Amino acid sequence: MSGWPKNPKQLGKEHLRFDGPVKVSGSARYASDMQPVGWLYGMILRSPWPAARIRAIDLRPALSLPGIRAAVTANDAPFTIRYCGEELAAVAGLSKQACLDALIAIKVDADLLPFVVKEEAALRDTSPRVFENQPNAAEPREMQTGEVDAAFRTADKTVEGFFQTQVQLHHCLETHGNTVQVTPNEITCWASTQGISSVRDGLADNISMPLDKVHVMSEFMGGGFGSKFGPGIEGGLAARLSKEAGGVPVRLMLTRFDEALAVGNRPSSFQKVRLGAKNDGTLVAYELETFGTAGYASGGATAGGGGGAGFPAPYIYRIPSTRVRQTTVAINAGSARAMRAPGHPQASFGMESIMDEMALALGMDPVELRIKNDPSEIRRQQYQIAAERFGWNAKHHSPASSEGPVKSGTGCAGATWGGAGRGSEAEVRINPDGTVEVRCGTQDLGTGTKTLIAIVAAEIFALEPAAISVRIGDTTFPPSGGSGGSTTAASVAPAVFDACQNALADLALASGMSDPTGSNWRSATARLRINPIVARGRWKEGLSSRGVGGVQMAEVEVDTETGFVRVKRIVCVQDCGLVVNRLASVSQINGGIILGIGFALYEERILDSQTGVVLNPNFETYKLPGAADVPELDVILQDMPERGVIGIGEPVTIPTAAAIANAVSNAIGKRVTSLPITPSQILGLLEKLPGIRSKSGTS
Amino acid sequence: MRIKLPGTVDEQISRRSFLRGVGASAMAGAIAKVTAAAQSVESMDDQRPVGPEPVKLVLQVNGKGHEVEVEPRVTLLDVLRNRLQLTGTKEVCDRATCGACTVLVNGQPVYSCMKLAVEMKAQEIITIEGIGGPNNLTPIQRAFVECDALMCGYCTPGFVTSLTALFRAKQNPTLEEIKKACSGNLCRCGTYPNIFRAAQRVAESGSSKT
Amino acid sequence: MQNFEYAIARSVDGAIELSTSESRFLAGGIDLLGEMKEYITSPKRVIDLKLIPDLDRIDTSTSTWKIGANVTIAEIARNERIRATLPGLAEAASEVGSPQIRNVATLGGNLAQHSRCWYYRHRDLRCLKRGGSTCYAREGENKYHSLFSGNPCISPIVSNLAIILAALNARVNVRRGDKDVTLTIGELYSDAWNNPLDHTSLLPGDLIVHVEIPTQKNRSTYLQVSEKGDFDWALVSCAAAGRNSEDEWADISVFLGAVAPIPYRVESPLLESGKLSREAIESIAGSIAAKATPLAHNGYKVPIAQALVRRALTRIVS
Repeated sequence: MSGWPKNPKQLGKEHLRFDGPVKVSGSARYASDMQPVGWLYGMILRSPWPAARIRAIDLRPALSLPGIRAAVTANDAPFTIRYCGEELAAVAGLSKQACLDALIAIKVDADLLPFVVKEEAALRDTSPRVFENQPNAAEPREMQTGEVDAAFRTADKTVEGFFQTQVQLHHCLETHGNTVQVTPNEITCWASTQGISSVRDGLADNISMPLDKVHVMSEFMGGGFGSKFGPGIEGGLAARLSKEAGGVPVRLMLTRFDEALAVGNRPSSFQKVRLGAKNDGTLVAYELETFGTAGYASGGATAGGGGGAGFPAPYIYRIPSTRVRQTTVAINAGSARAMRAPGHPQASFGMESIMDEMALALGMDPVELRIKNDPSEIRRQQYQIAAERFGWNAKHHSPASSEGPVKSGTGCAGATWGGAGRGSEAEVRINPDGTVEVRCGTQDLGTGTKTLIAIVAAEIFALEPAAISVRIGDTTFPPSGGSGGSTTAASVAPAVFDACQNALADLALASGMSDPTGSNWRSATARLRINPIVARGRWKEGLSSRGVGGVQMAEVEVDTETGFVRVKRIVCVQDCGLVVNRLASVSQINGGIILGIGFALYEERILDSQTGVVLNPNFETYKLPGAADVPELDVILQDMPERGVIGIGEPVTIPTAAAIANAVSNAIGKRVTSLPITPSQILGLLEKLPGIRSKSGTS
Repeated sequence: MRIKLPGTVDEQISRRSFLRGVGASAMAGAIAKVTAAAQSVESMDDQRPVGPEPVKLVLQVNGKGHEVEVEPRVTLLDVLRNRLQLTGTKEVCDRATCGACTVLVNGQPVYSCMKLAVEMKAQEIITIEGIGGPNNLTPIQRAFVECDALMCGYCTPGFVTSLTALFRAKQNPTLEEIKKACSGNLCRCGTYPNIFRAAQRVAESGSSKT
Repeated sequence: MQNFEYAIARSVDGAIELSTSESRFLAGGIDLLGEMKEYITSPKRVIDLKLIPDLDRIDTSTSTWKIGANVTIAEIARNERIRATLPGLAEAASEVGSPQIRNVATLGGNLAQHSRCWYYRHRDLRCLKRGGSTCYAREGENKYHSLFSGNPCISPIVSNLAIILAALNARVNVRRGDKDVTLTIGELYSDAWNNPLDHTSLLPGDLIVHVEIPTQKNRSTYLQVSEKGDFDWALVSCAAAGRNSEDEWADISVFLGAVAPIPYRVESPLLESGKLSREAIESIAGSIAAKATPLAHNGYKVPIAQALVRRALTRIVS
């Protein structure tokens, strides 16, 4: 990889986050903090019914309340509602309390319709249909390689299993929403978003405003995880409210309840899998039949994509003959959206579980089996490194072989991801007093983009990052892409590199100094007199690439009397090409692993079949990992500078749950078949559950 | 006629009686209509109820008295963020489950989303703004920056506030005590390991004047 | 929330005076404000109890200790004398919620708190407990629900303190109108066993004043299992307490939490006999299964309950 300096001073070091001080002092202002003059509080009325035909919505009782300045319906009646939480109407008022009262006052006339909220039920011919004119199950997609049936006949060992994963929610701590002002001539919006341009495009379209009159800003945002692209229905409603209220700004942020219903999720999976191998461990045949739900819009593209419940299969391993059949089934529930590594955690869990079954059938070490069949050299090496750091050979024992009621177990899993960069632009301004400003219309989700930009500029100019001012999150800045797919670092870094090189060339010319960097900087820039250097740059080849691996190993303890699982330690070996900010990269790894722990043990959106409601629209019973749930995290971040910058945000959350599940299975000697792994499942696998007596009536 | 699921609450009739006379609470830029003789929580020596109209009260926040006029149902969190523009304290769950709204009341961390403003008479409230600004960070704030104990930053003021209370009570807490002090705060970005490291750094330095 | 009048009670009499058929008492506020935010309850008047003098005292001057209803959970958890003499009580208190919750939640509020069943607490449903016609949990998602119930509602008790206080033979002093009523913990919850509409036996307007705890039981402990490591409701909890002098055991009680609408007493002749050998403990733990009526998703609570009973008894024995 040509572009980056061979012996960098800044790249790859540990750099403190630029926005650390404003975040730790609470002075960073997010979209949810904005209070422009005259602002109104916005709130959305949502459907309490899972399926209904809305006949009429009467906003007049709301509009007549003191304190309410505008009210709009989400759609023109009659229209059909397809999930609990779907938007009905919205109000804007002088206070939260005024809005709450207004929502209650709105009259909604509805005819309830039949509904279905469980995947298996939705697959039946007799099931209520989410959309009247089409079956709930999308046409299955089938892919074949080689000759699967013949290949299975040649297998020495065949294992099969049925694995399930749950619907997981993003639950960004800052909810979705915007503070937006729509005047006759322009739209100004502070958005909590991963894609300022997508918000701009959406609002322009919504309100029919020319793009050049729409200004979107997002300097700080409180988490996205894939769910925050476009203005959302909520942004459109806020914009309309602002317009209705005469051009007054409206701040409309969702509530935690809303977040659990209506702004995306990771699809579920129900995986029937079969795997065949030779006695020497070579995998020869693979068959997968899977379905899952992406909510009511199953299969349809939604904000940010995610497109259905499908996932890559077979995941990672080299298997010459495969047959994969996937379908997505609609239910009356909120639509899925891309959630950190869409599809991959589900894929990893199914694949790595059946791999461990095969290892047992073959009497082979799980790591050895993986290395034998993994086409990725990076990952094969990562397994070796992880095994050594973890102490795999000493720690890994046969299933259920540890003493006492609290049993220990170990498991491993691998990941693959792209993380390539693409078009992004940047602008660098060098001032006569030596200060530097970089502008880029990108986002920082907590990923450290702002700091990354400063590091790159500092590297090129041989300055300290603290000497660089970075401005991001504004659609008037040079455009960059949305922050999804782990593409930001690999998009932005080359663009900033290019802009800095261009700026440097201009500075050399203007100052007459062939090398204005470092110790020459002050005298070089002083020669600029009054005019700054302003240079643009854009993403170019040679500074970034795609394709990372990742391996994680987990050590767990399972209390076989209570079913309680404790993750003791996770070792992660992760590559991401050229590391820009080592501190921020390790934080990404920690965060991805912890999200994976939530997927493994605690998180599940639960729908009630009788009423269609989400039963856990809160943090009380939708359980996020807390301080007590974090194990020892041992992270090895590899350096491969020759590969250029590659994204790291998503691969790091992929194999965690699979590794934990394998570790739990190893601990108790029974195969974990579904996520999340609850005490109930453990005790069931250990055959400690009593028979069910009576379902109804008293004891 | 509104068709409701079996079990949907419908109390519209009884609620209407409250909608009469509910004044709009003031927002920055909007002018509050002060009804005649607005009641004040300060003058409550006896047990006379106040409200549901807005009530005048003085909140002691970060060492200063702030006069506000709010309905009894307005939470402390709402007042801090939306009336006093102290937006460092965040609203994330509004249900006492996540800690982003943590403030110190008489030195103790509490969830401001579950405190009514009217309850807070004579209580000393400290928010993140009263702990340390970006140019005069306390040791724990500095340690957060140095240990990268934050990512998106939305949970950060809550954690800093909880740990500030810990360090004011005890200079060198154990890792166990640090985790316990953080047990009421959630982080979705997963910064816990670095939060613990930051707190341990302060504990070991022996100087935690927070 | 709906709007309301707010009043500060200056005495127990004053609180009673202020209460109406549509008022609720406010102590720590975690339970009440949570219900109000979901419109489960919309009182017209909220009466703040926190300034009533003398309700925040811990009185250990006699052999029956008195803890005022306004004492916070945090105070109970850190009180040195409670930790030394009634360790089970301190343990139960330290498991309640989070530090922020323990700092404001009170003994009275913890005992009086309402159901946490997710059907009961859902803003858009009106289950049996709320006066509707159906207990949705019975045929629905019941993994957190009761193994034992005397009525069609299967919402379990969630108060940690009720469980240990039951094991400690505590009594609750309640002001009912102008009368003082003393209830055992069993009596405090008995209506919840029989009546789907009840969370406790408290009548509207009842005010818990203090809890009396005899201190003769010199061994006590409290354990719980949750899905998460901290700040999570118990799946099952267990409190055990007894009096041990010169290796003779007397007055041993074991109660389970989160398996019934009431603190569920584990009954066994072996407990009464005071013999706590390993075999006896095993047998006591095993006896739970017989009376349980697990539903589709909560059978796992049986082995957990058995394990906790075994561990709790083993702990007080050792």
